[in-house]
Amino acid sequence: MLIVGFTAALVASGCNSEREGEGGTAGTPAKGFAADALIGVALPSKTSENWVLAGDLFTNGLKAAGFQSDVQYAGASTTVADQQAQIVAMVTKGAKVIVIGATDAAQLSTQVAQAKQAGTVVIAYDRLITNTKDVDYYIAFDNFKVGQLQGQALLDGMKAKKPTGPWTIELFSGSPDDNNSGVFFNGAMDVLKPAIDKGDVVVGSGQTDVKQTATQGWKAENAQSRMDALLTSTYSSKTLDGVLSPNDTLARAIITSVKGAGKPIPVVTGQDSEVESVKSIVAGEQYSTINKDTRKLVAETIKMVKTLQTGAAPEVNDTKSYDNGVKVVPAYLLAPVIVTKDNAATAYADDPKLAPLTK
Amino acid sequence: MGNALLEMRAITKEFPGVRALSDVSLVVAAGEIHAICGENGAGKSTLMKVLSGVHPYGTYDGDIFYQGRECRFGDIRASEHAGIVIIHQELALVPGMSITENIFLGNEPRRWGRIDWKAANHRALELMSLVGLKEDPDTLVKDIGVGKQQLVEIAKAFAKDVKLLILDEPTAALNETDSRHLLDLLRGFKQRGITSIMISHKLNEVEAIADAITILRDGRTIETITVASGEVDEDRIVRGMVGRDLESRFPEHVPRIGEVFFEVRDWTVRHPISADRLVCKNSAFTVRRGEIVGFAGLMGAGRTELAMSIFGRSYGVHLDGKIFKDGREVEIRSVADAIAHGLAYVSEDRKAIGLNLLDDVKTSVVAAKLSKITRRGVLDEAAQYHEAESYRKSLRIKTPTVDEPVTRLSGGNQQKVVLAKWMFTDPDLLILDEPTRGIDVGAKYEIYGIIQRLADEGRGVIVISSEMPELIGLCDRIYTVFEGAITGEVARRDADPELLMKQMTSSRRLPTP
Amino acid sequence: MSRVRDLQKNLFGGTTSNARQFGMIFTLVAIVLYFQIRTGGLTLTSGNLIALTQQYAYISILSIGMLMVIVAGHIDLSVGSVAAFTGIVVAKAVTEHDVPWPAGILLGLAVGALIGAWQGFWVAYIGVPAFIVTLAGMLLFRGGNQYIGNADTVPVPEGFRVIGAGYLPEVGPATGYNNLTLLLGLLLCAAVIWREWRSRRVRQQMEGAEPAPAWISVLRLTILLSVIVFATLRFAGGRVGTSFPVSGIILAVLVIAYSFYTRNTAGGRHIYAVGGNARAAELSGVRLRRVNFLVMTNMGLLSALAGMIFVARSAASGPQDGLTWELDAIAAVFIGGAAVSGGLGTVSGSIVGGLVVAVLNNGLQLIGTGSDMVQIIRGLFLLGAVALDVYNKKQGRFSIIGSLTRPFHREPPAPPGAPATPSRADAKAAAAG
Repeated sequence: MLIVGFTAALVASGCNSEREGEGGTAGTPAKGFAADALIGVALPSKTSENWVLAGDLFTNGLKAAGFQSDVQYAGASTTVADQQAQIVAMVTKGAKVIVIGATDAAQLSTQVAQAKQAGTVVIAYDRLITNTKDVDYYIAFDNFKVGQLQGQALLDGMKAKKPTGPWTIELFSGSPDDNNSGVFFNGAMDVLKPAIDKGDVVVGSGQTDVKQTATQGWKAENAQSRMDALLTSTYSSKTLDGVLSPNDTLARAIITSVKGAGKPIPVVTGQDSEVESVKSIVAGEQYSTINKDTRKLVAETIKMVKTLQTGAAPEVNDTKSYDNGVKVVPAYLLAPVIVTKDNAATAYADDPKLAPLTK
Repeated sequence: MGNALLEMRAITKEFPGVRALSDVSLVVAAGEIHAICGENGAGKSTLMKVLSGVHPYGTYDGDIFYQGRECRFGDIRASEHAGIVIIHQELALVPGMSITENIFLGNEPRRWGRIDWKAANHRALELMSLVGLKEDPDTLVKDIGVGKQQLVEIAKAFAKDVKLLILDEPTAALNETDSRHLLDLLRGFKQRGITSIMISHKLNEVEAIADAITILRDGRTIETITVASGEVDEDRIVRGMVGRDLESRFPEHVPRIGEVFFEVRDWTVRHPISADRLVCKNSAFTVRRGEIVGFAGLMGAGRTELAMSIFGRSYGVHLDGKIFKDGREVEIRSVADAIAHGLAYVSEDRKAIGLNLLDDVKTSVVAAKLSKITRRGVLDEAAQYHEAESYRKSLRIKTPTVDEPVTRLSGGNQQKVVLAKWMFTDPDLLILDEPTRGIDVGAKYEIYGIIQRLADEGRGVIVISSEMPELIGLCDRIYTVFEGAITGEVARRDADPELLMKQMTSSRRLPTP
Repeated sequence: MSRVRDLQKNLFGGTTSNARQFGMIFTLVAIVLYFQIRTGGLTLTSGNLIALTQQYAYISILSIGMLMVIVAGHIDLSVGSVAAFTGIVVAKAVTEHDVPWPAGILLGLAVGALIGAWQGFWVAYIGVPAFIVTLAGMLLFRGGNQYIGNADTVPVPEGFRVIGAGYLPEVGPATGYNNLTLLLGLLLCAAVIWREWRSRRVRQQMEGAEPAPAWISVLRLTILLSVIVFATLRFAGGRVGTSFPVSGIILAVLVIAYSFYTRNTAGGRHIYAVGGNARAAELSGVRLRRVNFLVMTNMGLLSALAGMIFVARSAASGPQDGLTWELDAIAAVFIGGAAVSGGLGTVSGSIVGGLVVAVLNNGLQLIGTGSDMVQIIRGLFLLGAVALDVYNKKQGRFSIIGSLTRPFHREPPAPPGAPATPSRADAKAAAAG
């Protein structure tokens, strides 16, 4: 009797099954979709101005392009789990494209696979999602180039202050769970290594390995405490000429540490063109930053989404460099610009927020 | 005297599922000592909580007139403001604070917004001399005895400018000397024009001190007796409280005493913290089957410590001594061992260490021997229910069902639950530590009956008690304990209070008569 | 009138139950319905229910262990770190040292139990408060995770991912559903019916205790069975290749086993005794130290399992695994009606508590609420739920959550003539009306 009742209930509600239809589209790329479809954007927690800006730009840009948007940030402390849940929620809501700025690039494969099976296109934004075959495109600034520019700027800056070497420097890199960290660092070392080998540049503490220089979670306090420790251990008598910093937040933390120790400020690089750092550059403290115009990156991403909407293949300019461990992901790379005090005014001329700071 | 200071009219108070007070009236004349008697659960404490604003106006029906005006107290502060101060059975002192700090807790004398400790200490000394407490006011409360702590509570009441002092079982935890001092103190207050209400089970004290006695039973007023009229006698009070005559305080009993089956030799135990103190010194005693053995001694004599150290070494550091059961020496290293060897210990403090107050009746009853209701590793709830039900009936535990939380039961019924819990382990030897403390007359009689029944089943029973009449009325043989040593052994026929008291207060071992 | 009273008294158990005391279930139903409407029907879709189960299985597993720790009167702050530590150890072993993944799981459980035993040793035998021991453990094993993992993200092989992201296989005839999920649902229905029948029979054995009216049993069965059938069809009717998730099955097995252990065995009851009054328990022959030791060891074991399930679902062990999990688990336990001072609480209550938070979280994400607002709402909800429960306990009513989490609690009727029950029920009916 139980089985009969159960079967009856089964038949009665049979029309609710989600099995029909969706199974067929699973795994095949979307051939265009509605012009007002839902586009999901999952970004890391709001630890940097850049992500906040990107979120606003996505919200407005997607709206202007006629899409519905769902822009989410991960929580401050439970980033990975939050982002996983957010991506699944976007899939459930039927997002046609999901743009992901990953918190931990290696821990999203299950969710990305779910998206793929539901017929959603996945675009890795700024950070490449690894260990999965289900990521469709990668869009970012050329991060190796960013590293090279930082390395070059460091050398130029030190040369300008003290014409002849050897120069003493320290190296900082980003969070080890962000695969861009290594790319920045390798790009910078591409420029610095020859100088170090020649003896023109000396790493005072001897810490040149990416693991030693890492800054967990891209957190300012971690960089600051490492700098404090370095100043105490290595620079009680020596002078520090330059510091390679992967981004602005860390650059300012490093400068704060140096100031706190009462030492002269060395040449410090940066990245992201954060407001405080642009002020600092104009004031002559931080030496350089990188202008990776978030506006451009978001605009290109939205352009890619629009192309996908029509069913055409979006433009890519690199199909061999970005191997995520499972496949080579087609990428669209934008060129970064180095900014120092000299070219700040021209570099930010188009930026409504930064332009006034350079006047 | 004459005019009423306080009049409570037709007070009715209901809790969810229970009507604690129905139509209770109480008239207290100015300047008198008014005793309230009643069994546990009769509603005495509830009545006092209504009076002191613990149950605020609006949660009960009826009127309270105080100093000729109707009062509607919203909380304790309001009633204290009017000069009504209640001293609860469980003292409300902070052990880690000094006497002065406790006296003025919540009522600190201030000057420019700061506590004026100089004035506080000065006033504390005055109040302490008023209650006859000779101590340094900076002494921490935890370092003085219960009797003195009670005095601190009273001093605290005086700090609040008390007009009506309510004492809930003030002598329950006190020894005879301290009790007598307290009663004298109350008489002194009367002289100063302070009115007191005293809740007590100790009828001899009530008789000695009260001007009027109101008797409550099952949440109703039975009668108010004026002592001056000369109609007071204990039997009348007991009849009022219990609702029937008590022929005797102890049930008739003819002991059937068998062989010695339990023996302790050379038992020596060291204090767990101060290592050079011996709390038991070479104690030795025996128990026969079917025998009720008493342990008499003043508080702090080491009776409880002796019992607990035997019960699976649950107290102190065991130094030396042997336990024999049925002629064979047994090793008892843990409570589980003790239970396995047929020992049971019913603690004097059932709330702190006798019961889990979150449990209901049925889970409490089976708690000490879950293996008895476990079938193939699974607790048999039906068996648990049956066991608890059978004890509810045989011990006449007053509870609607065995699913009731133990906190809802009155003290006497809680004590019966604890007894049931240990009877359930089917012990050969029960050690009952103050089995009737804080229990009313009717329940005491029943518990004595249970103890006698246990003995008649061939078990040995040890009763530790501070109440001399209880020991003499109940026990077949009595050991006296003084400062950790057994100082005497008296058979029932020779037992009289004077002899026992002598042995309880001297270390010289008297010849056994 | 009398039917209403019967319903109040017997549907979810407890003499003092009334409409307000179904609060937690009602809250859950209300939240589900609210989000079902707000999201245009997305909340109860197969895909979302499956995702929800997978997302919260590991937190719920933690809350089972945490419940026992809290009931025993302790707290464990280290569960997230222990989970992360075990995760990286297992990931490294499986990926870099070629340990087969089933052996990897066993290794993880062993590591977890060992860590639990280490903490249990300090708590039970040395007497250091669990708060301190596990605070130390939190630092110790978080550091251990970073030391071993070098703050790297270490991927795990496909086979291992089954415990976190796996589904039951598709077997048998094409019914349009996942057949094994249907089978599970059928078994569950049978179990529920058997249990109802058995509880009636046990009650009949008790002298003087009448079983609840038959129509109550029928009503209760109807409600439960319809919920189960609905859920089964939803879980079975997801995309081809999906089913009731493997992590959900692991959780269900644990819930059943631990509910049974805590309710129906001497060992389980000892935990409640220790939390309720440690000294009384000790004097009743409970081996205090052993209970404390086992509770902490068990917590370590379950932390390890939760950690591995998360790693399996994330396909990799990362340096941020386990952050703030202890807080989620503790919140679930307290929302589920446990007492901060120990001695009270049920496994099923904690699971319901966790479920409410999970649905709330998921629903807010579906309607696109930012994680900042989600945290604010969750914080307020935790405070509100526990405050309501405390308030109700103070009012002398039985705990809302406590009462409904004992759905088969047996309640013998009050003896005839006892004035209590009718007057109480009347008062309640008046209050409800």
